[in-house]
Amino acid sequence: MKLIKTFAILIVIVAVFGGAMFALNFYTGPIIEANNAGAANARLDAVMPDGAKAYEDITATLTLPEKFVSPANDKRTAEIVAVHKETKNDFGYVVEVAWTSEDTHGSEPNLVLVGISTDGKIINVNNEGYHDTDAYNIFNKDPKYTSTFIGKDSALADVGTVSGSTHSSESFRSAVSFSFEVLVSNNMITAGVKSDAQILEELIPTVTKGYGKLAEATASGNIVKALKAENETGFAYIVTEGDASFLAIVNATGACAVYNVEGADVTADKAAIVTEAKAHAAANQTNYTQVLTDKLGKLMEGAASITNIEVKTFNTVASAVTFTAENTTYYAFLSRSIGWDSRVMNIYYIIDGNGAIVKTDADQYVFEEHDFKEYGGFLGLPENYREGFVGITGDTFTGNEVIISAATMSSNAIKAATEDIFAAFDSVKGGAQ
Amino acid sequence: MKTNKLSELLKGTPSLLLMLGAGFVMASSSNLQAALGMGAAVLISMLLASLVLTALCKFIPAYAQLPAYLLIITGFVSIIGMLMQAWLPDVANMLGIHLATIAVSAVIYRKGEESAEGNIFPINTALVTGVYLTVIMLVSALIREFIGSASIWGQPIEFMANYKISAIAGAFGGYLVLAIVTAIINKLTSARNTEEKEDK
Repeated sequence: MKLIKTFAILIVIVAVFGGAMFALNFYTGPIIEANNAGAANARLDAVMPDGAKAYEDITATLTLPEKFVSPANDKRTAEIVAVHKETKNDFGYVVEVAWTSEDTHGSEPNLVLVGISTDGKIINVNNEGYHDTDAYNIFNKDPKYTSTFIGKDSALADVGTVSGSTHSSESFRSAVSFSFEVLVSNNMITAGVKSDAQILEELIPTVTKGYGKLAEATASGNIVKALKAENETGFAYIVTEGDASFLAIVNATGACAVYNVEGADVTADKAAIVTEAKAHAAANQTNYTQVLTDKLGKLMEGAASITNIEVKTFNTVASAVTFTAENTTYYAFLSRSIGWDSRVMNIYYIIDGNGAIVKTDADQYVFEEHDFKEYGGFLGLPENYREGFVGITGDTFTGNEVIISAATMSSNAIKAATEDIFAAFDSVKGGAQ
Repeated sequence: MKTNKLSELLKGTPSLLLMLGAGFVMASSSNLQAALGMGAAVLISMLLASLVLTALCKFIPAYAQLPAYLLIITGFVSIIGMLMQAWLPDVANMLGIHLATIAVSAVIYRKGEESAEGNIFPINTALVTGVYLTVIMLVSALIREFIGSASIWGQPIEFMANYKISAIAGAFGGYLVLAIVTAIINKLTSARNTEEKEDK
């Protein structure tokens, strides 16, 4: 009897509390569910207008574009991770894009969330996590950078990059631009229309890989926009001819190329533009021939018949000459490659007629500087570093010969410089020189 | 007489007596908001459970009081948990699983047992225990948040930013601060007990 009574009491207690919780759940259940959903959606809400509450993950229903790899640098990538549709107020979409740049460390990419309205305008942009070099953190360098995207359509007109964080900010901009592709290609929004000038300007990094960041210079005549490479290796111009616009690029040796809005090389048909662009560049370009000639005197005894040559590559090469020594013809190049801390290195190469490096030197390799040691623990150039280049040709150069651990950025800059001078040499040998 | 009653009540101060509540006091005292949330949850669940158990103790055989009390306190803790998740989600998330562990805390069982036995007025017991528990958690949380996180109530204290000791906000710091606070209160209460004995 006692056992039955005890059992009954416990059953009653369970029933009372069970009933109370069952009833309470009717009131609290939806609130708790909404709270949980709200917490999960907080990161999506951050790029949507106030009042956005419900999202549907529509990634699986869409045809996703292939991973974007920049033609300027294959380490600049963007890939769609997820697409969410705001369903409560039909505010638009949140696109998550994983992105990397040449400054991204480790295997984990950066992630940007882009809120896009149904009429194809950016509501807000928010980057989650940052795995690029912290010293060049876009959002520390320019805390208001993301706000420059607000209200823009897929053309991203007038959205620039961040000074001192060029690689990361260009990659970030590409990632935001890429977020539109999934919506446009699935007919969910209409693409913004880019002006010819914008299309041509976006072509610049592809056709002038070594120019680095460009600063605006004074335009004149048919040149509506003049841009000068920060490492003084050339110019890029937006030039008008009638109603049409063209991109003209001029390198530091005086060579010029002209492109139309389709990206086709139309240099041969646009002599007037070539003349105007070359004249502007000649008047504003720093001449590095004397710098190269002076160095040549120290590197190669008896150098004579030094002749300036024009190379048809648009990279880090700032000067090129041919000369003779002991009855042999050589070629000398000066590359102004951008290394650690965005510093420009003057690197000199002497190449024989077969394309093999005879000598190389630099005014100062950036990673020899004392302040750099604090970052990488680098204690100076390895012994015989310069001599290690001797005999290398464009065909045998792999890039590994110049890489030094703990000095990656400057090593990569020297690698790029070496590739550029070989490309310049090829253009000379294959050209009319 | 008044002093004796207070001493009797103080015996139930959780973290002073066998450190029964040390686990969830430590876990919930990393910042003031969590400490206040946990303190309120414990106080309310103890008060309600004491009331119900006192009302039912005549009908529940002595050998069934433990399971009955466990069911009652678990029910109240679950209800409080649901209410906090609905209307105080941030605090509920902060407390996490520790909120549910109130139900099996030896502190609460001990006070429930005392209440049921009629040793002392149950509301007073529950109230004093709950308040002391809350005060101890708040004092510990104030120290830990200030030294360990350089903030008070989530607001950063700028001059402490370069001097904070993160370990104090962690488990080790929790037990360290709790031990110090306990030692101070033990010292104060033992002095009071000595005075009482001398009066007798």
